[in-house]
Amino acid sequence: MVAQTGFTSTRAKGLAEFRLIPRIETYPAVVSFAQTPLGKVALLAVFALGMRYFLPDLPSVLTLMLPIALITFLPEYRRFVLAISPIAIVAMQSANDLLTLGLTLAVIALGIFLYWCAMRWPESRFGKRPVLFLLTGFTLLILLARAATPRSWPHLILWGLVGALASYLWFIAYALTDRNSKPGRELTLEVAALRPLWGSTNTPFPKGAAYLRRIEAKNPEQLAIFQLKGLKLLAWAILLAALQGLWYRFFHGYLRIPMPDQALTMSVQGTPVAWHLRWACQILAYFELIFTFSIFGHRIIAVCRMAGFNALRNTYRPLSATTIMEFFNRFYYYFKELLVDFFFYPAFLRYWKRHKRIRMIFATFAAAFFGNSLYHLMRDWQIARDDGPWRAIASYQVLFFYNAFLAAGLCVSQLRKRGPKPAGFVRAHLLPAVGVGFFYCILNVFDSDERMYPLIEHLKYLAGLFFIHF
Amino acid sequence: MKGRAEIREFVQGLLANSGDEGTLADSDSLLFSGRLQSIDAVEIVVFLEENFGIDFAQIGFDKERIDSIDAICALTQSVAKA
Repeated sequence: MVAQTGFTSTRAKGLAEFRLIPRIETYPAVVSFAQTPLGKVALLAVFALGMRYFLPDLPSVLTLMLPIALITFLPEYRRFVLAISPIAIVAMQSANDLLTLGLTLAVIALGIFLYWCAMRWPESRFGKRPVLFLLTGFTLLILLARAATPRSWPHLILWGLVGALASYLWFIAYALTDRNSKPGRELTLEVAALRPLWGSTNTPFPKGAAYLRRIEAKNPEQLAIFQLKGLKLLAWAILLAALQGLWYRFFHGYLRIPMPDQALTMSVQGTPVAWHLRWACQILAYFELIFTFSIFGHRIIAVCRMAGFNALRNTYRPLSATTIMEFFNRFYYYFKELLVDFFFYPAFLRYWKRHKRIRMIFATFAAAFFGNSLYHLMRDWQIARDDGPWRAIASYQVLFFYNAFLAAGLCVSQLRKRGPKPAGFVRAHLLPAVGVGFFYCILNVFDSDERMYPLIEHLKYLAGLFFIHF
Repeated sequence: MKGRAEIREFVQGLLANSGDEGTLADSDSLLFSGRLQSIDAVEIVVFLEENFGIDFAQIGFDKERIDSIDAICALTQSVAKA
């Protein structure tokens, strides 16, 4: 019996330690080789080859790899290279569109100016609440642009400014919150963090300059280790992308299970798909979202690590989450951090201090409902331009419901009293993970960027999953 | 007034709840390293409010100031002096 237990635990340990992609950053010989000129060239070449899988053509790969190569061979110029590369790329891309180029440079200058103001006058109203001022200013800019006469110069310039600022908004917000941290001797990292070289969504990956300073490689060995980790993550992203392709071919091509949007459209048109297919497409959508977020997040963080920063992954083992909150944290880490940094903490630290539960609920709704909604409204500024701000808000009814549902789930997840962890894999891990998956499958019914159908259609679709028809 | 030992015990409790039984030096990063999550930072905030009377709304919140046991101790000392 003892021998059997020993065998089982050894096997379990072996399984837990099994890696599909070996931990090359822990092999001393590999780390040493990656610090030699030949090793650096080999590392860069393999990474460039991997990036070719995601980038459309060779020039795109070279545009990315040139600064990475400079950083690899001249790490002392890392911050300078990172500061000028995104600006140079914008200049190259907008060479034929001087208005866009001018507005983008103006927004970068505005970000640096606001950062300087927040540092210079920390006790002023702006210095104390700079992000509030920034978001209010952006909202006022949208209203001002809306008031301009259509097809006039002010209209064109103001909406151009809204577009440029929208893509830099949260990067500037991070720069402003970084005012509390010890500033560097120069501001090159602050400039680099405004739309960094490695790319991102409107959510800054990985946060701002203060965070970058903490995770920056301090010596050649660390740089080699971070770059090897970046290469591994890129390999993982390619594997997942290949698997995703097979997944789509099998489930949606061979088995012909509809995509969630197709299933919803058929439900709206009065020809709903069979009950089991609805569930199948919701379950598949849950895994497909994980695929998508893992792949794009890994790709960005891989380049960030190649640039010499040991950033945490954006998506990290989401299927192992045993609570709704844990999944939210593991699924889209940097977006969650944005909501926490700009909405949760400010609400939690200021309001309802004497009422623990209300305090937590209020702060959670401030982040997951209010912050999440505001983020998407500001991201999709074109809708406000085309339909007007009030119609834009009305068209987001499904998103608001999604955010309220998510916020409620997160509240319950955080407020539930935790007892001792149950024993055994099934009770401790599998059943809670299935429960979390079930919650997000239901939530995904309302995850639609298309805004094609009103909330009632989504609710009807959800009810249909449980044999309720109205 | 609690001290370093209580802070350390509290932080180790948070790590244990996250299933982290690894060694912990006083200078080790807790939040930026990913060992503790944002929700744990909230627990640290409440602990510091209740035991040290720290009001982050007044002094400004910065995760760096609670990112290690050393940083937390420095924060409590600076607030006590003020």
